[in-house]
Amino acid sequence: MARRRTHTHVHLPTAALALALTATACGAVAGDGPVADPLVVWIMEGTNPDETAYFDAANSAFTERTGVEVEVEFVPWSDAQNKISTAIAGDTVPDVVELGTTFIPEFADSGALYDLSTHIDDPYLYTQSMLRMGQIDDRIYGVPWYAAIRSIVYRSDLFEEHGQEVPQDWAELRETAVALSEAEEDMTAFPVPGDAQYSVMPWIWGGGGELAAQRPDGTWVSDIDSEGGRAGMSFFTGLALEDGVSTTGAVNWNEIDVMEALAEERAVMAISGSATPKAILESNPDLEGRLGAFPIPGREGGYTDSFAGGSLLSVFAGTGQEETAWEYVAHLTGDEFSIRWSEETGFFPGRAAAVRTFAESENPLVRPFAVQLEAASRGTPVTPAWGRVEAAKVIVAMQQDVLNGDATVEEATEHAADEVERILNGD
Amino acid sequence: MGTPVGLSEARRRPERVGRSAVPARARPRRRRRAPLLTGGARRALLPWALLAPALTVIGLLLLFPLGRVVWLSFRDFHLRNLVTGTSESVGLANYAALLGDPYLWRVVLPNTVGFALVAVVATVVLGTLVALLLSTLRPLTRVIVVSCVMVAWAMPAVSGTYVWIWIFDVDDGIVAQSLTSLGLLGPDGYNWFADRLFFYGVVTLNVVHSGFPFVAVTVLAGLMTVPRDLHEAAMIDGAGAWRRFWHVTFPVLRPVFAVVTVLSTIWDFKVFAQIYLMPGGDVGGSEMLNLGVWAYVRSFGHNDFGTGSAVAVLLTLLLLAVTVLYLRALFREDELR
Repeated sequence: MARRRTHTHVHLPTAALALALTATACGAVAGDGPVADPLVVWIMEGTNPDETAYFDAANSAFTERTGVEVEVEFVPWSDAQNKISTAIAGDTVPDVVELGTTFIPEFADSGALYDLSTHIDDPYLYTQSMLRMGQIDDRIYGVPWYAAIRSIVYRSDLFEEHGQEVPQDWAELRETAVALSEAEEDMTAFPVPGDAQYSVMPWIWGGGGELAAQRPDGTWVSDIDSEGGRAGMSFFTGLALEDGVSTTGAVNWNEIDVMEALAEERAVMAISGSATPKAILESNPDLEGRLGAFPIPGREGGYTDSFAGGSLLSVFAGTGQEETAWEYVAHLTGDEFSIRWSEETGFFPGRAAAVRTFAESENPLVRPFAVQLEAASRGTPVTPAWGRVEAAKVIVAMQQDVLNGDATVEEATEHAADEVERILNGD
Repeated sequence: MGTPVGLSEARRRPERVGRSAVPARARPRRRRRAPLLTGGARRALLPWALLAPALTVIGLLLLFPLGRVVWLSFRDFHLRNLVTGTSESVGLANYAALLGDPYLWRVVLPNTVGFALVAVVATVVLGTLVALLLSTLRPLTRVIVVSCVMVAWAMPAVSGTYVWIWIFDVDDGIVAQSLTSLGLLGPDGYNWFADRLFFYGVVTLNVVHSGFPFVAVTVLAGLMTVPRDLHEAAMIDGAGAWRRFWHVTFPVLRPVFAVVTVLSTIWDFKVFAQIYLMPGGDVGGSEMLNLGVWAYVRSFGHNDFGTGSAVAVLLTLLLLAVTVLYLRALFREDELR
């Protein structure tokens, strides 16, 4: 009895103490600790199907060399931007973070990242279009880790069965799609997705338009509503609206939905990322040997530029561990682990020389992507505000408005160009 | 995060202390301290002392963020300010920009208010009907039906939303398939997610489906308290089912209806996941946004935390106004006092 009574007396203060202790323990993880603290690294989830094994190997090699432990946390892509913003607000940023090419300019501009230019001996080692995304003047806020490129993945068995060849220009692409649509009635010949902006950009570029370009006076002008941009949009949406080679539901499809359509044998060909074939074969091994890829054909031959995205590794400023963090970035972007990452994921290394070896590959699911990346790839406009254009889904809205019949190509492109200019020029 | 360790620590320690020092000292001291507070003062302080932990938690988790959002809404606050920690006051500029934006009046506000109106009425009516049904069932059957109803309530908003999206999938959804096989829909299908009315139709189904069980269970609890003789008297007077509900049940249950209506209104005004996750629900500038999603897109899409907060404050003010109006209408003046 007596024991129980004292128990309740002392309980509250002790509990409070315990709470206070755990609270400070939480704070210590992100604070400026001594170098012996483990390095906290945020990596986007789902790029590598076997990411745990990869980081086990990479981290133990790093710990062996430097004596610093590494903690990797996987962050879902869809959450990444918010999570990083709130981490900055709450002062709980990691030491190293993987940033997509489209949102690195905004974070670089915010001042949250550490300038790596003094650490990088030769910036020309890296794929320049990617490096530029993390560059402001001559400061470098990210090191290219891997590049993602989109080409067209197709069912080689169905092409052969129906006597189709890989199309060489837009007109042939249309003819092929129409022929396959008629030959395979239950399948979608060429999905025209509405919620996949990187599948739309190539056509704007291919027609001769620019998403946005900066005038000498510093203002941005969008070319989406130029004759070329409209020609590209008309061609791509026309495949769905006039030629009927897509499906109504594709208006709501994002790139994952497109991939699933290929994997479930509902689509014959589609614009897909270089990592897609691997993922498709993983979910449907029956398709082994029945898939092929070709670079997006040019309007009158040659190639149409495709969006080159990917990720850079950045170091947060003010963590007190910037030097170790840089060591880790160099470790992951070095030859051994960047090539291993590429082999496991189907993306390409961020180093220019390494991409060239892939372009000589005999693998029919690797080479076309490498050719596309080397010969016909483009990034989005390099400005911190571009991330806002993507977050506001301006390109998606344009594409969906046309596909839904809510706007003509002229109206939708004009509206999109106005929106892009309004956001980039900051009013 | 060390919590389990901390807790077990807290549990282990008192015993150790208890065995050694405390019992001998604590008792005499307690007797001496008691007269410090008179009975009256103690009675006045006691509720506050008991409320203190809850108030601290609410203050930290609710009032502080709320105050911060209001503060943010008067500032020019972007990602850069988040890093530097400094920002400039812009007075009412964020509000002026919002209220001057035709998008607010043309899309966001009508969506928010119109949807909430329809969804609240549908939720309360359906919930009440289910409650009336439940009250006529025998206990065992009632338990079975209530359990089924609870499943709808227990479904997390995100999974529920994906189920509805899947049901209405444009190509392969069960609705599209059935309509096509009935010949009501062409082989090309129809993208209902692109149509504002259809879009909100699906959202309404989703929200009503997950919202009515709460109303049903609460109203059922109220129905149990309606004296049976009131109903019998009304029946003898020749009142039908509707008149008995309207003149007997409803007046008795008015406080219950006030609670479920106000709560449903609050929930339906600030619905977020059920819209954001729908196809087209996250496209800035589309016809489908409501105030909650707009605040999010503004804050995290545009990294314009000032304007985003201003939208959130507007939503809060709107909710407060609607709640006050409701309470006024549902209670007579004298009942409020």
